[in-house]
Amino acid sequence: MLLDFDKLGGLKPFLIGLTVLVCLFLILPIVFIAALSFGSSQWLIFPPPSWTFKWYQMLFSDPRWLWSALTSLKIAAIVTVLSVILGFLAALGLNRGTFAGREALRALFLTPMILPVVVLAVALYALFLQLGLAGTTVGFIIAHLLIALPFSIISIGNALEGFDKSIEDAAILCGASPWEARLRVTVPAVSHGIFAAAIFSFLASWDEVVLAIFMASPTLQTLPVKIWATLRQDLTPVIAAASTILIAFTILLMVAAALFRKGRKA
Amino acid sequence: MVLSATTDGGQRSIRRNGSFGYVVPALLLIAFFFIIPVLMLLMRSVLEPTPGLQNYQELLGSTTYLRVFLNTFTVAGLVTVVAVVIGFPVAWLLAIMPDKWSRLVMAIIVLSMWTNLLARTYAWMVLLQRTGVVNKMLISLGIIDKPLALVNNLVGVTIGMTYIMLPFVILPLIGILKSIDPAILRAAALCGANKRQCFTRVLLPLSLPGIASGALMVFVMSLGYYVTPALLGGTSNMMLAELVAQFVQSLVNWGMGGAAALVLLLVTMVLYAIQLKFLNPNRVR
Repeated sequence: MLLDFDKLGGLKPFLIGLTVLVCLFLILPIVFIAALSFGSSQWLIFPPPSWTFKWYQMLFSDPRWLWSALTSLKIAAIVTVLSVILGFLAALGLNRGTFAGREALRALFLTPMILPVVVLAVALYALFLQLGLAGTTVGFIIAHLLIALPFSIISIGNALEGFDKSIEDAAILCGASPWEARLRVTVPAVSHGIFAAAIFSFLASWDEVVLAIFMASPTLQTLPVKIWATLRQDLTPVIAAASTILIAFTILLMVAAALFRKGRKA
Repeated sequence: MVLSATTDGGQRSIRRNGSFGYVVPALLLIAFFFIIPVLMLLMRSVLEPTPGLQNYQELLGSTTYLRVFLNTFTVAGLVTVVAVVIGFPVAWLLAIMPDKWSRLVMAIIVLSMWTNLLARTYAWMVLLQRTGVVNKMLISLGIIDKPLALVNNLVGVTIGMTYIMLPFVILPLIGILKSIDPAILRAAALCGANKRQCFTRVLLPLSLPGIASGALMVFVMSLGYYVTPALLGGTSNMMLAELVAQFVQSLVNWGMGGAAALVLLLVTMVLYAIQLKFLNPNRVR
């Protein structure tokens, strides 16, 4: 009866009340930031004395913000492509392979995801200083690829689990070359996994802060680095405006992902 | 003709080495840019400035660093306890409530999880500041008469981190609670157990592996967090990840940085090993 929603009795209002509070706790800070980005108070007084677009104007008139957003976009796009390609190959190898140590290898591929990212950041920073990759786009891409790849391997690996290999063999029997079969039969069949891998990889890079702080240089900054550097100085409402745009972007991606899933079911 | 397609050279060579070739690009990436740099960093901790264990002696022997460890474990522990105590009832309700409503709650949880970490931390910096909404609300409710210091201390870090970690407790627990057969609880009730007994003797023990596993995961994640503690904690309340960053960035002391990184790495690995060995709810057997 504790697991029957209709028979919870006196517990029901308690559980519902707590869940509502938790929902408010989770959603209000986000709403609050969005509201403040339109508020006129420099000191972030809430509720704002009046409403304004000036923080957005300041944001868009400062080329450094725009430039850092473009840098983020460029790095995230390249990371996404590489992560999906490497992830697809690795997932294929782990899924189809008969070689020893596959489980250990899978675990190894996923470790960058669970390790404290600051350790990875510091270690890569030391290596990149020696290789001359510190503060370069290549260094940035390698760092972000490391944490995006596990998402690709998991998403595409799961999709491959549900794909019957004999369909690919059938294509080969019908005269396709192995790679032709893979690209024209297997890839479309696991496209939902590839789509998920792309979204997660993109977000892993786009939102990443810690590696980015160590990979950045005064001339190469992603959006999170720019926000971080600004935040360390003061709490200006311009950050609220930047955050609101990021939040809107996240919601857009979530809706796209949900629509994609719905489209697949139908 | 048709058969030759499956037995041509390329296909056979793939079969022979068991598809190992496919994982090579990812393996090279991990080897060169993950395993090697991490090992190199750890080497520096025993080689710089002179070979020996003096970095570890200093790190584990001084009260300054002891405080950092204490801060780290206190915050991670507090965050874990609060997140589990709040998260468990929410996951419980989500596991049994009608789909229509649970979907809405899930959307809120996922939205907060996907929102940029800096945006969320910024929100708490603003909310918790001296003239912030939280202080104003507490004053107008008559709970306090002077604003409390809620940022630049461990209180702020704990609030901000709990906010970030809650979804990581709730989401896995929903699955665990859904996998418990409601008939078991009905049976317990039929056998005369009252509600409290049903909860403490049936529901809680059955969900305990999931709770322990989620709690450990949140604890480990909290130990290594950098951004939120750095922004909400201020400079005088450092945690371990900040110490690693500070050694490298401001002090350019790679020996100490490597040593602090190793301690963080070691604690993380040991706790994950415990998780995999004893608490993995998906474990076979």
